[in-house]
Amino acid sequence: MRKRTAPRVSVTIDGRPARIRPGTSVAAALLEQGRWDFRTDPVSGTARGPYCGMGVCLECEVTVDGRPAVRACIERVREGMSIDTSAGEVGP
Amino acid sequence: MTQPTTIRTADAAVVGAGPAGLAAALELGLAGLRVLLLDEQSAPGGQYYRSPGPEAVREVGDHRPAGARLIARVRACGVRVLSGHTVWGVEDDRRGLLAAGPDGDPVIVRADRIVVATGAYERSVPFPGWQLPGVVTPGLAQHMCAEGVRLGRSAVVAGSGPFLLPVACALLERGVRVLAVAEAGRPYTPRPAALGALRFPARLVELASYTARLARHGVRLHQDTVVAEASGRERVREVTLVRRSDPRRVVGRHGADVLCVGYGFRPQSDLAQLLGCDMGRDPATGDPVPLLGAAGRSSVPWVHVVGEAAGVAGAPTALLRGRAAAFDILAARGRTVGRRSRRAVTARLASLARFNGLTSRLYPDPARLTAELAAGLPGDTLVCRCEGVTADTLRSAACLPGGSDVPALKGSTRAGMGPCQSRECGPALDALRGRGTGAGAVPARVPLRPVPLSTVLHLRAFGEET
Ligand SMILES: Cc1cc2nc3c(=O)[nH]c(=O)nc-3n(C[C@H](O)[C@H](O)[C@H](O)COP(=O)(O)OP(=O)(O)OC[C@H]3O[C@@H](n4cnc5c(N)ncnc54)[C@H](O)[C@@H]3O)c2cc1C
Ligand code: FES
Repeated sequence: MRKRTAPRVSVTIDGRPARIRPGTSVAAALLEQGRWDFRTDPVSGTARGPYCGMGVCLECEVTVDGRPAVRACIERVREGMSIDTSAGEVGP
Repeated sequence: MTQPTTIRTADAAVVGAGPAGLAAALELGLAGLRVLLLDEQSAPGGQYYRSPGPEAVREVGDHRPAGARLIARVRACGVRVLSGHTVWGVEDDRRGLLAAGPDGDPVIVRADRIVVATGAYERSVPFPGWQLPGVVTPGLAQHMCAEGVRLGRSAVVAGSGPFLLPVACALLERGVRVLAVAEAGRPYTPRPAALGALRFPARLVELASYTARLARHGVRLHQDTVVAEASGRERVREVTLVRRSDPRRVVGRHGADVLCVGYGFRPQSDLAQLLGCDMGRDPATGDPVPLLGAAGRSSVPWVHVVGEAAGVAGAPTALLRGRAAAFDILAARGRTVGRRSRRAVTARLASLARFNGLTSRLYPDPARLTAELAAGLPGDTLVCRCEGVTADTLRSAACLPGGSDVPALKGSTRAGMGPCQSRECGPALDALRGRGTGAGAVPARVPLRPVPLSTVLHLRAFGEET
């Protein structure tokens, strides 16, 4: 049941512009772009992606507008939002 | 960056805007109480009524329109909905709730009555490769499907419980090929215990409609089957399914880029515990739950616990529990609540409880299944995915003197001490400690969620000033 397409919101993902369906979560925005590597696990150095989808596992944490450790699965996209997945690549 | 602390007061504060919290807030609001409804998600709805924003709904459709109607009624009756508010602690008198607002800003909520409606989360059991991107819970898959996302090209859905079936159907609807559904138990082979459920045909018809849809798409539904391993480099590429009763027998190897695994739900009762509610164990699953009297009354006079936080029982029960608690609070304030509506709620709760008992008997006991699966884990499996602790490390630590004690095991290995606070590995940790049961405890630790240090520090300074 496809309906009229709403205008997209413009965000940047790791500095690259992307146009996202409004009202969706930051996690959905990244996954729609084919991005599953949301952060680098500081213990093992391997890529991690969203797991629980409901705010309890903390695997989906990204940096949003400079604010670190935002859970992508429960945060919604906003016009002009900047989403950064490089957290964890360097030590705190 | 210090943000001022906002203090909010109300007659009642409801934590969790799922079906239970919404139902409670609605009745309290309709009766004219000043109600604050807090939830850490960006919008109310909880797990069951979660949907993307209205613009996205117009585009991808609303799979549960009743949620939007309930939320509209809650707003209309004057309830103050505070979305994006994470409750992470309580004040020393166990009356005030400490929260972080949408930007991490400190918020204190003080109310005469607290209704805990924090819901449930999915039960995980570790397996080799479960930390790979692309391995998710069925709940994540359902939420992302509802947001219109096509998660991948092909998926395997595994674990146990009725929830696997609608999730497989949701994936199909978004154009994902479902290669197999693997159920650890044998619920879909009628047994005497199952026959009682025939008196509740509506729910069975629902399950049957899912199995029929899966069959139409040629999706194999394997029983007595579990995931042995997920492999891949940056993302899951291959999933190996084996017989649960004979793990050497490979049921299938599937090239999949999505793997959904879940073993039902666990009550999220940590806030109730933090508020000082006496705790017990769910008789069916062994999970920690608050000890409750009629209508969700806890051992703390000003705290009610409703919905899945009181014990997993499904969305219809969650709604009714929310209403029952609200009626109870209103009655205590001397409001007259129609005896007929109170009785009707009680009767429907009892009938749903009978059905839940019957359905849960169809599926394997989650604690025993966890213990069984954990015992068979290869030594290098990451059990604690936050702190990177393997099954072998835990097994050796459990052999040391005092090692079979969960806090000691955590202390010596750091397992369960990471950001998720053992919500994901807790049952497996419990199983691996030797004498454990696989039920798992979730000690309520402050903060319940990682919050910015500045928020905590600011609150502390604030508390000292006043
Ligand atoms: C993806 C998914 C799908 C489900 N589908 C079904 C289904 O089809 N049928 C069914 O019967 N059951 C289903 N369930 C089970 C479901 O949990 C319940 O039936 C129903 O949602 C329970 O309602 P609730 O109000 O108790 O809790 P929930 O709906 O879980 O709501 C709890 C809310 O509390 C919030 N919260 C928790 N802790 C905090 C905190 N510290 N601070 C602030 N907010 C907090 C959460 O963000 C959440 O929004 C599903 C569960 C999930 C996860
Ligand atoms: S995916 Fe688990 S917290 Fe977001």
